[in-house]
Amino acid sequence: MFIGLAMNSNIYDPAFWSRLQFGFTLTYHYLFPQLTMGLAWFIVYFKWRALRTGDEKYNRAVRFWAKIFGLNFAVGVVTGIPMEFQFGTNWAGFSKYAGGVIGQTLAMEGMFAFFLESAFIGALIWGEKRLGPRYHFLAALAVALGSWLSGFFILVTNAFMQHPVGYQTEANGTLGIASLSSYLLNPWAYVQFLHNQMAALVTGSFVVAAVGAFYMLRGLHQTQARLYLRAGTFTALIASLLVAFPTGDQQAKMVGRYQPVTLAAMEGKFTGGPMAGVAVIGQPNIATRRLENPIEVPGALSFLAYGTFQSYVRGLDEFPEDQWPDNIELLYYSFHLMITLGSLFIVLMAVATFQSWRGRLEQSIWLLWVLMLAFPFPYIANTLGWMTAELGRQPWLVYGLFHTRDGYSKVVSNGDTIFTLIGFTGLYFVLGLLFLYLVGREIGHGPDKDVVPIRLKEVVVSKEEEALV
Amino acid sequence: MIATWYGIVSLMLIIYIALDGRNFGAGMLHWVVAKTPEERRQVIAAMGPLWSWHEVWLVAFGGTVLAVFPGLLASAFAGYYLALFLILWCFILRGVSIEVGGHINDRLWQGFWDFVFVFANFLLAILFGAAAGNLARGVPLDAEGNFSMAFFTDFRTSGYVGLLDWYTVSMAIFAAVILAAHGANYLTLKTEGAVHDRSTNIAKILWIAVVPLFLIISIETFVVRPDLLGHAVFNPFWWLGLILIAVSAISLVSGLATQKEKRSFIGSSLLLVGLLVTGSAAIFPVMLHSTLASENSLTAYAVASNRTALILASIWWPAAFALATIYFVFISRRYAGKVSVKRDNQGFY
Repeated sequence: MFIGLAMNSNIYDPAFWSRLQFGFTLTYHYLFPQLTMGLAWFIVYFKWRALRTGDEKYNRAVRFWAKIFGLNFAVGVVTGIPMEFQFGTNWAGFSKYAGGVIGQTLAMEGMFAFFLESAFIGALIWGEKRLGPRYHFLAALAVALGSWLSGFFILVTNAFMQHPVGYQTEANGTLGIASLSSYLLNPWAYVQFLHNQMAALVTGSFVVAAVGAFYMLRGLHQTQARLYLRAGTFTALIASLLVAFPTGDQQAKMVGRYQPVTLAAMEGKFTGGPMAGVAVIGQPNIATRRLENPIEVPGALSFLAYGTFQSYVRGLDEFPEDQWPDNIELLYYSFHLMITLGSLFIVLMAVATFQSWRGRLEQSIWLLWVLMLAFPFPYIANTLGWMTAELGRQPWLVYGLFHTRDGYSKVVSNGDTIFTLIGFTGLYFVLGLLFLYLVGREIGHGPDKDVVPIRLKEVVVSKEEEALV
Repeated sequence: MIATWYGIVSLMLIIYIALDGRNFGAGMLHWVVAKTPEERRQVIAAMGPLWSWHEVWLVAFGGTVLAVFPGLLASAFAGYYLALFLILWCFILRGVSIEVGGHINDRLWQGFWDFVFVFANFLLAILFGAAAGNLARGVPLDAEGNFSMAFFTDFRTSGYVGLLDWYTVSMAIFAAVILAAHGANYLTLKTEGAVHDRSTNIAKILWIAVVPLFLIISIETFVVRPDLLGHAVFNPFWWLGLILIAVSAISLVSGLATQKEKRSFIGSSLLLVGLLVTGSAAIFPVMLHSTLASENSLTAYAVASNRTALILASIWWPAAFALATIYFVFISRRYAGKVSVKRDNQGFY
């Protein structure tokens, strides 16, 4: 996320390989925390309901999701440690330049968030009996808070790279911290943090709903399936709405204000003007400097970015070319696909929540199928969002202050980075297989061990019969 | 201020080694002390639910070094590039082997992950030992404060050195033996039955082996860096380290002799702390010594952040440290006592 992917720089450029390695390891890593940050609150909710109602079904839900959470957490931890180290190994120039500022939040993340999470994670997964119900609830809460706190510190770090505040330039040319409060209260950080956390909640709730739909369609674990479907679809609707408005909207305004050239590139605006539209369809062509086959909503971009339809949106031609993001096509596609997916999430979950409210969701076979198969898309949308943020920041590593091409480690050769990149690819491939196998196995076992499979049709029929009686 | 932060980041690394060192040790001895699948799960269970909390000390150390000594992190991490990735991959393998090994109750599955577990822990102990050797011996820093190092060159300890030479290799062996002994003490404390008895026996053998190795390492260090001693005697923390070594050695020996398991474990933990305190006090204020020219060495004063960064960190760091300790005490009190495989039917923790 921090460094982003570089497709336009050539393969002899050391920055290219370090960017590719950081982009790959971070994109892969973030598949896991985005689920745990969302899922953590479901576990807290289920445990809280179990405490309040004493209903065993909530405890079963906690035990089941804690196992899924644990596997995600473990892969998140082992793939997260390399991220911390790569600041030094591959981005020594950047660490030396900005470490005095961003080190504050990276250290805080370890000290405040990781200790909290790692102390309670084992107790959450295996310690229900040792801790007793109240402390077990506290453990769930601690893990949820820790995971969000960690997200917060990382987002503050990233926000500094997007919109540096609270720093001063030292005599030796590096950056030093000048004010911790303005660094931590970076307006960019708050908007981006809320946008990102809501997006993580979308991933978590889509997964909960998908597992519910899976069991419902197979006629297994009906009580649990009903619980997951109801909690999952409702949360997904709220979170999907919040991702778009106000957080996504504010994020776009922030980009418009502080990174106008990025906004132009995201929207493929080669020339500026008022009444700027949002392209629903279209491909940017850098060679001819225009958007191919555009179908636009006129004035929408002016309105969304600056508040009125008449607002002037600056085009790429108004900026020197060396300030353009270095991969405009990829940036454009990432942003547009993210928006499209986010809109579809709202539609899907609005329909699902409506059906659930009417009590018809469990019988809507087609809708259950869609819910079951929809869970990969929030992962894609989250990844696209981060690609938009990081590609949009280029060619800067710290926006307006420090170029990405100056940040890599001069002493590390291309071959070394390619070697470790290949190593990560292999290791992460095996790790992915292992993860999918074990999670699949847990989902196969299900939340109830003593369950007899029943067919969905029989449930439907018996319910109708019940209604007749 | 800078000296205080040198002390704090050293302390973080020392806490890390003392805590995770016992896990390395237990991991290395896994096959020796545990023979049946149940006994092997018992070793993993003895590491407890806090092993990732232990690992966080290393991550927090990395983050704190970036915050207060950014120049050091930039220079050292890039220079140790391949060695660090080897360590990272071992951490990935170790974490995975602990977490997934117990997921499936199958002999082949567990046997395979046991192998990964032992292998990763052994390699980690060796690599950390070699890293400690590198810190004492120094690295080929140029005038800009950069270096890049081969795994080994001519096995000599000056000039263009590699990661491994005769000194760092003997340091790696010493680290593996002392961490194994520390792990054996921990397993003696936390287990019962056959694992306990085997750990007690192997602990004695390993601690006897530590004594000559310690003498050899001390002499070797004096040969490699004769300048350190004259410098260290004026540092009170170096003397503190020596006192810790002496006190902990007494506690360790009397604990082993009288079968007081807690006393010997506290002894071995403090011994590690004492050794590392002595070491970090001896090299202060140099954080990375140059084998090419001593004026290229990176001192804490040269690589530190600005004063504001250090002051700010001095405000939030103690609070975070206190919180982390509270979590640790809360959880470890609930997991006090010996682990038994049969006692808890909710998995092994």
